[in-house]
Amino acid sequence: MLQLDLLVTGLITGLYYALMAVGLTMIFGILKIVNFAHGEFYMIGAYTYTLIAVGLGVSPWLALPVAAVAGAFIGWATERLLMRPMYSGYGSWRFMKDEYAVVVTFGLSLLLINLVNRIVGPYPMLGPALWDAQRVAIGPFLMSGQKLITSGLAILLLVGLALFIKYSLWGRQIQAVAQNRFGASIAGINSARASNLVFVASGVLAATSGALLAPVINLDPAVGIFPAVKSYVIVVIGGMGSIPGSIFAALLLGVIESFGAVYLSYSYRDAYGLILLILILVFRPQGLFGERAREV
Amino acid sequence: MVHEHSNLHSSKLRSEIRLSLAILLLLALVPLGVQSPYWLGVLIVSMYFAIVTSGWNLLAGCAGQFSLAPAPFAMLGGYATGLFAYHLHAPLWIGLPTAIVIPALVGLALGRIVLRLSGVYLALTTLSFGEILRVVVYNSIDFTRGDQGLNVPGLVESRVAYYYIFLAALAAVVVLLYYLLRLPLGRFLQAIRDDELGAASRGIDVVRYKTVAFVISCAICGLGGGLYGTFAQLVSPELGLIQSTGLVIAMAMIGGMGTLVGPLIGALLVYTASELLRSVGNIQMIVFAVLVIVFARFFQEGLWGLVRHVFVRPRAARETAS
Amino acid sequence: MRQLRFVLATAAAAMLGFSGVGHAASQDPILIGVSLTQSPPGSVVQGTEVKHGLDIMAKMINDKGGVLGRPLKLLYEDDQGIPEKGRAAVEKLITTNKVVAIAGGHQSSVCLAEIEVVHRYKVPYIDTNCWSDDIRTKGYPEVFNPANYNTHVATAMAETIAAMKVKSVVALAENTDYGIGQAKVLGKLLAEHSPNIKYKYLTLDRASKDFTPTVLALRADPPDMVANMALPPAAYIMMNQLYQQGVAPSKKTWFYDGGGISDYPDFWQNVKDAGKYMISFGLYHPGMPMPQIGKDVAKAYEDQFKHGPNRLTFQAADSILVIAQAIEMAKSTDHAAIIKALQTGTFKGVRGEFKFSEKPGITFQQWVDIPYVTYQITAVDQPLAKTVLVQAPGQPIDVSKLQQPAN
Repeated sequence: MLQLDLLVTGLITGLYYALMAVGLTMIFGILKIVNFAHGEFYMIGAYTYTLIAVGLGVSPWLALPVAAVAGAFIGWATERLLMRPMYSGYGSWRFMKDEYAVVVTFGLSLLLINLVNRIVGPYPMLGPALWDAQRVAIGPFLMSGQKLITSGLAILLLVGLALFIKYSLWGRQIQAVAQNRFGASIAGINSARASNLVFVASGVLAATSGALLAPVINLDPAVGIFPAVKSYVIVVIGGMGSIPGSIFAALLLGVIESFGAVYLSYSYRDAYGLILLILILVFRPQGLFGERAREV
Repeated sequence: MVHEHSNLHSSKLRSEIRLSLAILLLLALVPLGVQSPYWLGVLIVSMYFAIVTSGWNLLAGCAGQFSLAPAPFAMLGGYATGLFAYHLHAPLWIGLPTAIVIPALVGLALGRIVLRLSGVYLALTTLSFGEILRVVVYNSIDFTRGDQGLNVPGLVESRVAYYYIFLAALAAVVVLLYYLLRLPLGRFLQAIRDDELGAASRGIDVVRYKTVAFVISCAICGLGGGLYGTFAQLVSPELGLIQSTGLVIAMAMIGGMGTLVGPLIGALLVYTASELLRSVGNIQMIVFAVLVIVFARFFQEGLWGLVRHVFVRPRAARETAS
Repeated sequence: MRQLRFVLATAAAAMLGFSGVGHAASQDPILIGVSLTQSPPGSVVQGTEVKHGLDIMAKMINDKGGVLGRPLKLLYEDDQGIPEKGRAAVEKLITTNKVVAIAGGHQSSVCLAEIEVVHRYKVPYIDTNCWSDDIRTKGYPEVFNPANYNTHVATAMAETIAAMKVKSVVALAENTDYGIGQAKVLGKLLAEHSPNIKYKYLTLDRASKDFTPTVLALRADPPDMVANMALPPAAYIMMNQLYQQGVAPSKKTWFYDGGGISDYPDFWQNVKDAGKYMISFGLYHPGMPMPQIGKDVAKAYEDQFKHGPNRLTFQAADSILVIAQAIEMAKSTDHAAIIKALQTGTFKGVRGEFKFSEKPGITFQQWVDIPYVTYQITAVDQPLAKTVLVQAPGQPIDVSKLQQPAN
């Protein structure tokens, strides 16, 4: 039945969106900044995966963790080299913090896109699938083998992350720093390391989603812009800093877009997110699950 | 105490307006020496960016409201003029003012919704809104002609005439901002920027002033877009790309955020550099990106901040001492 | 030892001296300005293919002695796919570099911005791959179009569709002037000539990465044919998803491409199984009759890049060739003289001989009868030469040659 098909496809799309958005919401939660280069973490993951699997001829299952490591590295490097000054010089430019983060991450995004364009080349590529079957029937639904595996891995990763944040020591430290940075450091928590961890996790998640989607979404140097913009919409709808909020908002967005594309209009697909965004902001500005942001 | 602070604030503004006027004067003299229409064109587009960046700087640098939509509002201004000309055959003396009015109205409506929120929320929402604006313009092919762009009638014939029109507009914007900032409004915005809660506790109507700044900012960006449309005689959705917003932010950052003269310096330097780097081949974008990062990382206060530390501070210290 | 070195040095000098013969004399080169996309957000793939074609033809011309005894030199500028950058690039090329002509435009919105500049300065402009009808209907005398145009493709597609006797067609068009323009013209032509064919078109966002909802809707109600009017990468994604959901190509539904995507060098790498049984409107096929110079260009391309050329190669080559021939005809590099020569001359291009039409409207200064073929891919990774030619240039289509998959 078409409606059921659309629901399932919407949820699967939502899963992909969630994988991207969760890393971004964590960065907000802990550093209160926008990471303009988030889409490029995705892109780096996708390219690493594809180049290693195709160029070196290794199995895609080996290339996947390598892509994750690449994402971890670039997340770590971004925080360590570019983000540190933001809060180490906290006093002198309170009001420049956001601007700095945006400029620097925008510059990073521009740099990465054009570097990859120059080094690897501009031609769209397709990553190798983890499972080659083109059509797999799950009950009444037809999907490619890759989509099936990717969805499964995405669920695993999201659940794993949620458990990590909630129960592990580092996870709880991250939560503490996100709630109150100053207070957490009084309690002896190394907030710099917590921030670094969050960036690493964000990099891993984004890169992995890039790798998982590489066989589905043809890669080119600018492929990261699209998931990044979706992530921004989702994070606002779900609530800043709330991981369950982002996941829920991502799934919701996927389903709405899926139905809207068929029953309303395809070309304005991206507008549905905005309408939802505006409704949320008017009636519930902290997002679906966020804490109340300071209002005036 | 307050007396000295206000002296400091207005003396800072005074030195900025003096420098700005000096730069504008220099710009006015350029066509006497430079004949190449190509370079005049580069400077015209730099002035477009200077206008848009000044508008954004009022909102983000002076008021601390970090909007990520200057480029889409400029695009909106350009399309307002273009659509009035294309569909209604309105002459430019009607079309250009709509480039100021329509973005201002949209800014008012958006501001109502969004200015209640703080920091990051504002940034993301304006980014999303700007992106959707661009997507809508891109897809409304019957209305806006989509990716082909919309033809806008020209204002004048000669390149030099355009140059002076842009210069006049830029000067008007800078002078307007100077007088605005000299009013109590300027200090209230600064208070809101530095400590919103504190400002509210002192009785400042934060929402009202934020809205005023937002609307003026959108109007200025729109003006830039409208003028640009008449110059290039084409507006297209690419005017509102996120990359363009990033460029505006970089210009403000490099020139000096929160200052009157920063956007001027930043826009002229960055845009002219991006044209000069053209000859470096297709690695020009890489070079430019590295420059943005390095500058943001190591010259955070912008060029004007550096200059101020060296020249202006000692003088202010002498003033307060006496 | 010293003797050996002396001999080698003399031999080298002699070789250098000999290699000078046959090349254009080292005089002032003739400068041609080229604005194309070499970095995002524009289509770098297209820009690169255009560049290859231009370089090959320029080299061939220079190897034969250049134009009026002078070598051609191409000056490249990157327009990034942004109309404003294209405008600035063309202005720089004209005013600072003083080029004799501009070529290379391959994205319609950028072309539209650029023709305003050439019109103001009255410099000849060769539209290399912009299909938008507006470029022609503006009627600027400086702009010449040896490239394909939307109505041409739509006419070819309408004839093919009618001959295949399908009953319902859904066109998937990208949300650009090219995509929607073509979809509308096709609709109009079908309504005029084959009113009993049900036709509708859906607009797809070119920047989108997922078309599954639309594909699912098609699966619920499959048409006899899905027509493609989108370019890569969206076209690749769409094809893959159509195939994965079992929509097209299938026993029930044909897949017909009007965007010429199968001659992009990265086609097979991106679509794999989904490309089998695709029918394509082609502007280039190895089975097409071609003048010798066209074959030379094809060979030069294959030797250099180790795979077959595509239509962008030939359109780009023709762009340079007509400028060169126009200069020879006019015996001058003056802008007005070149324009006059372009308007009146007959050109021996790499795809055939042609003149630019004078009729105002969508064929103003356009090569009207650009040769095309229709072919079908019958195996995965099939090179162009092995595809089945179901329609040769100028001939009606032979539908008996078309194959359908088993399911």
